[in-house]
Amino acid sequence: MMQFLPPWMRSGRVITGLVIVAIIAICALFAPQIAPQDPNEQDLVATLLPPVWVSGGDAAHILGTDSLGRDILSRLIYGARVAMLVAFFASLGAMLLGSVLAYIAGYFGGRIDSIISRAVDVWMSFPPVVLSLILMVGLGVGLRNVILAIIVVDWTRFCRVLRSEVMVVARRDYVAAARLVGFSHWRTITREIVPATLPLLITLVSLEMGIAVIVEAILSFVGMSVSAQTPAWGQMIADTRQFIYDNPWNLLFPILAVFFAVFGFNMLGDGLRRTLDVRVTATQRV
Amino acid sequence: MDMLIAKDLAVSAALGGRTVPVIQELNFSLPQGKILGLVGESGAGKSMIGRTIAQLLPSGFSVSGGELMFDGQDLVRMPVETRRELLGRDIAFVPQEPLSGLNPVLTIGQQIDEHLARLNVGSRRERRERALAMLNAVHLPHGAELLGKYPHQLSGGMCQRVLIAMAFASKPKLLVADEPTTALDVTIQARIVQLIAEMQQNEGTSVIFITHDLRLAAQICDQIMVLYAGRPVEYGPARDIFARPSHPYTRCLQLANPSMSGARRGLYALPERMPGLSALSGINGCLFAPRCPNVAEACTQRKPSLVETSADHVAACIRTETTAQIAAPALAEVGAPDAGTPLLKVEGLTKTFRSDTGFFRHSLFTAVQGVSFTLHQNEFIGIVGESGSGKSTVARMLCGLERPSTGSLVIDGVDVTDGSKAAQAHQRAHVQMVFQDPQSALNPRRKVASIVTQAMEAVGEGTWAERVARAETLLSEIGLPPDAATRFPTQLSGGQKQRVNIARALCVAPNILVADEIVSGLDVSVQAQLLNLLLRLRRERHFSMLLISHDLSVVRYLCDRVLVMYRGEVVESGPTAEVFAAPQHPYTRTLLAAVPPDDPSAVWTPQPTEGEKAARTAMEANA
Repeated sequence: MMQFLPPWMRSGRVITGLVIVAIIAICALFAPQIAPQDPNEQDLVATLLPPVWVSGGDAAHILGTDSLGRDILSRLIYGARVAMLVAFFASLGAMLLGSVLAYIAGYFGGRIDSIISRAVDVWMSFPPVVLSLILMVGLGVGLRNVILAIIVVDWTRFCRVLRSEVMVVARRDYVAAARLVGFSHWRTITREIVPATLPLLITLVSLEMGIAVIVEAILSFVGMSVSAQTPAWGQMIADTRQFIYDNPWNLLFPILAVFFAVFGFNMLGDGLRRTLDVRVTATQRV
Repeated sequence: MDMLIAKDLAVSAALGGRTVPVIQELNFSLPQGKILGLVGESGAGKSMIGRTIAQLLPSGFSVSGGELMFDGQDLVRMPVETRRELLGRDIAFVPQEPLSGLNPVLTIGQQIDEHLARLNVGSRRERRERALAMLNAVHLPHGAELLGKYPHQLSGGMCQRVLIAMAFASKPKLLVADEPTTALDVTIQARIVQLIAEMQQNEGTSVIFITHDLRLAAQICDQIMVLYAGRPVEYGPARDIFARPSHPYTRCLQLANPSMSGARRGLYALPERMPGLSALSGINGCLFAPRCPNVAEACTQRKPSLVETSADHVAACIRTETTAQIAAPALAEVGAPDAGTPLLKVEGLTKTFRSDTGFFRHSLFTAVQGVSFTLHQNEFIGIVGESGSGKSTVARMLCGLERPSTGSLVIDGVDVTDGSKAAQAHQRAHVQMVFQDPQSALNPRRKVASIVTQAMEAVGEGTWAERVARAETLLSEIGLPPDAATRFPTQLSGGQKQRVNIARALCVAPNILVADEIVSGLDVSVQAQLLNLLLRLRRERHFSMLLISHDLSVVRYLCDRVLVMYRGEVVESGPTAEVFAAPQHPYTRTLLAAVPPDDPSAVWTPQPTEGEKAARTAMEANA
């Protein structure tokens, strides 16, 4: 992997994405230290305050307060925890499930491949949002169940893309050569095929993180995600949606938070794809 | 009258801030209706000349001096519009890759029609009639049917014929054919070359024929120019050059090619490689001096100019009188195959592939049908045949990459047909394969030491230091420096990669090597190096080999026996010398007739169409 380090670190997209993701990650990790207020502390005297730079703003609440007088900035910072946890574990889980099946299907081919591929086809014919909502109803609310629902819905994305890549790599002569000198299937996959598909896998994971943030926001918007005590961006949007005419700012900030998180992950993924994918870089060099 | 004249033409390239000469001092004059062959190995600049004529130089490359006069006009300095009018009309091209020369989403008819419309051929109906006549002229039957087909529905040879028909549609004054047959089968190769020669004679076209095959050039060209590192080293009448090469490089090229007739001789393998563009400026005297067998003190002092050695025949060498002394080395003594029990016994080997054509439907395709042969210790067997004849499938079955449908495979007394774990282990220990494409056969993420000792990794044997040590031993055996062990495959040349490929197969010390087209796509001098390496290894290691090749001269040079495959079946087999001297099966005769003879004055009579028909009839009669 060492030879990949210089080119991808030089990409502007990757750096932009990394900076955004790092800021959100720091907010999530050190939320108690960074947040100016307790995110759940209500101040019923000062409800629906606008941000500090608008007339009527209060210096104690930089981004204003919501209908219960809770500090928006603090809630945004705490909300990053849910977003990052879901982004990290859901994409990792979806990757593990999807890629293991993709390696099996792409490498062995034949009957096992058609079984896995048909399963993916059937799975993908369910509308993803509806499927995750049904799952949440069945599983009940909670962070762990949100992650589980995203994994169960999104593993197909990894499986389908990766499978075709594995099939291409598995047909290369060096894979046949590895089998000829006595490599077991397990060793052939881990030593010859996985390294060749790693760039694609990394790219897919970073894109999936952005998708996971959106799905979590949707689920918490409809109240199907974490409990009401835990601040989440989607929940904040839902909470303030009735007061859109009284205080549009409250709605704007959580939307921007979701937007930047997804933008960061997508920039990172797109930058990685451009620099790690041999096919793209090869055509650019010509 | 001269159709194309190059006067001191020079092309240079901007490489990392420096300007390096790519082509220098190029002078030739091609008379009307004659064929000029540009011959040289890859990197000699022969394709660059074709691109200069088309003004399709890669970015960074430009003509830095001299002129290129086509029919009285300078191609280099003429306005773009004038040149656009000339190209495709007065100057036509036949590309190397027929499939990429045609648009895959348009039918053959649409493409010919478009081309004829550009040439202002009257109405749609006239164009269609003309198209049919054109296809007829290049011996493509069923023209009307063909016009409605897409390029991928035709074979490579048919596509190349279509392209030739289109090239000649405008009755061009000049045709540039850049390795038009490299991507095609031998039998088709001969037909395409004959076709170009035939069309050229009918139309009186001048042709620039770019090729790496000196024997082929001598056969069909009137003049030959041999290029080395972007400079012409020898130029003159084709037969004269072939009969009396004056430049040592031409002589070495000739001797690097295995002969097709007479006694077998050794191959002259030029050491090293042609210097790359960036290395050129570092050489003071003659550019060929570092590899020249006749090098003298004076050669490294100054660059030689072209001197006349006989009528119209010039060579850039100051010691032309010594060229004739370069002789092929003696044929390496490898000993006869061992008698006794054969190492490998193949009986009735058949492979049927199943392909799903629909949801519940499938079709069966028999790639290999009833192949039987035996291979003894220290014996080299060649399998020849065109693509699709099933020779690669046989190779894959011998290695265990494919399981035979029926038949039996006995290696060193053990039946491995069933493909059980024990059988596979036995097969691996005895049979190893050298793959065709070194690019795809070497994992770009592994270092050379890791690749050649992969067999040790498979059994979890040895530390990294031990593996590097083992790799260095293997590398020295195959003629690579020990420091290659720590490099990545991308840092090696094509020939070096193929050596690494061989070293990996040798790591487990197998008694049988299966080599699938291992020298196709390599330059003649690199090919000679590898063929000599295989003979040396045979002498040292006493192993057997199954060589799959479409190049009959390579098989003649290396192999004791030969199997000729046609449509999945062995149609003829026997000692190489016997089969080549007196072929029995019509298909073998077709194959042999397709190779240009060693002697350029001999009449080359590939009768492919008839030959193939005869072979087909005989096959049907046998079945």
